[in-house]
Amino acid sequence: MATSTFARRLPVVLATCMLAMTACSSGPAPGANVDLGSGPPKAGTVKADALKGMTLTFVSYGGIYQDGQTQAAVDPFAKASGARVLQDGPTETAKIKTQVESGNVTWDVIDSTNVITAQHCGDLFMPIDTSIVDISKLPPGSKTDDCSVPAMGYGLIVVYNTKKYGANPPKTWADFYDTAKFPGKRAIEGIAGELDPGVFESALLADGVAPQQVYPIDAPRALRKLSTIRGDIVFWNSGAHAQQLVEGGQVDMALLWSGRAYSAVKNGAPFAPMWDQWMPEADTITVPKGAKNPKASMALINYYLGADQQAKLSELTSYSPINVDAKPQLDDLAKTYLTTTPERDKDRFPLDVAWWAKNNDAMNTAYADWLAK
Amino acid sequence: MTLVDVFSGGAAPPQSRTETEGARRRRRGAYALLTPSVILVIGVFVVPLALMLWRSFTDPVAGFGNFTWYMGDEVQRRVLLRTFTTGLEVTVICLVLGYPYAYAMVAFGPKVRAMLTLLVLVPFWTSLMVRTFAWVILLQDNGPAHTILSLIGLGDVQLIRTNLGVVIGMSQILLPFMVLPLYAVMAGIDRKLVLASSSLGARPLTSFIRIWAPLTMPGVGAGALMVFISSLGFYVTPALLGSPDNALISQQIYVQVNSLLQWGRGAAMGVVLLLLTFVVLAVLMLALRRASRQEQSS
Repeated sequence: MATSTFARRLPVVLATCMLAMTACSSGPAPGANVDLGSGPPKAGTVKADALKGMTLTFVSYGGIYQDGQTQAAVDPFAKASGARVLQDGPTETAKIKTQVESGNVTWDVIDSTNVITAQHCGDLFMPIDTSIVDISKLPPGSKTDDCSVPAMGYGLIVVYNTKKYGANPPKTWADFYDTAKFPGKRAIEGIAGELDPGVFESALLADGVAPQQVYPIDAPRALRKLSTIRGDIVFWNSGAHAQQLVEGGQVDMALLWSGRAYSAVKNGAPFAPMWDQWMPEADTITVPKGAKNPKASMALINYYLGADQQAKLSELTSYSPINVDAKPQLDDLAKTYLTTTPERDKDRFPLDVAWWAKNNDAMNTAYADWLAK
Repeated sequence: MTLVDVFSGGAAPPQSRTETEGARRRRRGAYALLTPSVILVIGVFVVPLALMLWRSFTDPVAGFGNFTWYMGDEVQRRVLLRTFTTGLEVTVICLVLGYPYAYAMVAFGPKVRAMLTLLVLVPFWTSLMVRTFAWVILLQDNGPAHTILSLIGLGDVQLIRTNLGVVIGMSQILLPFMVLPLYAVMAGIDRKLVLASSSLGARPLTSFIRIWAPLTMPGVGAGALMVFISSLGFYVTPALLGSPDNALISQQIYVQVNSLLQWGRGAAMGVVLLLLTFVVLAVLMLALRRASRQEQSS
């Protein structure tokens, strides 16, 4: 009967399909041996034509940031080393996990965040090979885990409407959380599951916790403090959204990334930053575990860290360079938003990235639950 | 068999017991033609679904851990309930707007019908993202909708970042799924039946309740089901038009899978949503079957 022949043939057809699929995923990694020259590495350099014929994929978050990285470091690296560098994005940890678990890693160099690289060092990312990557020019304390180097510096800061608050602007975290003394809408990061370190800390500092006692974070207490202003919070779901809320005057204060704050003010928004206990953040650059050619990936990272590359990146994106020798040519406004200067160093509240790496899931679950309430 | 057929209580035509040789060969040919789509469905639907089911019970450890977590988490339960109530609200709004619209499509002349059809189909063919962003602009603070509402003295109504905004956006996006099945059913109804009832003395309302409404029930069922089930999986529209406290289950699944890398939990949430959808489907189908059977026997 027709049905039974069909039923008998189906498994054969399926098995053939499965075989065809698995056949593609295994294959030798090309160019496992790379000659990057001898001697200690120097940030910003690569041996000429050392990676000829090789293809790498660079992954970041898109927008002017990835364009800046491409212009400042990735394209010049491709030219110097002879490698072809493809672009992909945005970075998603779930995609990295899929690649690593399936053993088919197609991303070679990834821009992620410091908490994620610290949290998944060893299971998703591999240690930075310091025989290829020169880390001597990184700002002190900026390398936060074994598997990454910083990609740039920025901060989580508050900006406030100068017209609205005039002569009596908010100066502290307590002011930001005080809607009686400082009425008005506040923009706060509301991306469920991707909470940056800093939001909880700001609530605890406002609630009177001494800076040395912020860690370990008391999430319920921080959320209680956040709940007191919930009616005045507008949650932003991307950097662009935060910037748009400030530029459109839909909020009077915003807790947002310094790069976005700078862009909003540059576009004419009457806002000024509050630097007291600002929170330094960093993207990090890393190599996924099982990358096809780790040496080539490390060579790209070493090139990325050069003083010239970092200066150019800073000029193109307004983020702060992470090479101490970098001298970016910036306009006066952009200079005030640099976060890696000695002046800013004084006022910063240091976030504990290592603590976050251990507690990221618990903190994010707590925040996501609070958001969805 | 389409959704409409299911609700009209119709089944496939009965097969004759004695098949001719020709008919049998034709059937075999039909199976051969089916093979590519069967392989596709198995490869891209059945296998991933089975893997998801497997993961929900095994990741990170074997057992019911993911399900007990999901059922025990108060916030997750609230989001699940919100997903279903939002879906219900959207379905009711679509029905209230879509029913008269579909009726207008069959009641007026071909020119009006063509125009009305176009009005339904153009948004239907427009990208979901584009329509959602259009709603962001329309509903935002100090946006057009806000301005119009202030003109009539309702200036303080907030639309964006509220559940109302989400429901408005989702209803507009899902309206074609209500109108099209309704139209398909209404176009097939013999409108002389309504005339006959009024010639027998029924008032318009009686004609509607006794004749027209029961005959359109298969369309109502199909449309409501399509709208309701589609609304359960909405991600982009609530994310853009709502605030985090309007999050629906898709957004919560995204958080588990993409940000927290809790794939087992994400899978369990998907399984629960699927099962609940089946339950809704079954209840609705039983109710409508019974209703149509009673109609036939009375």
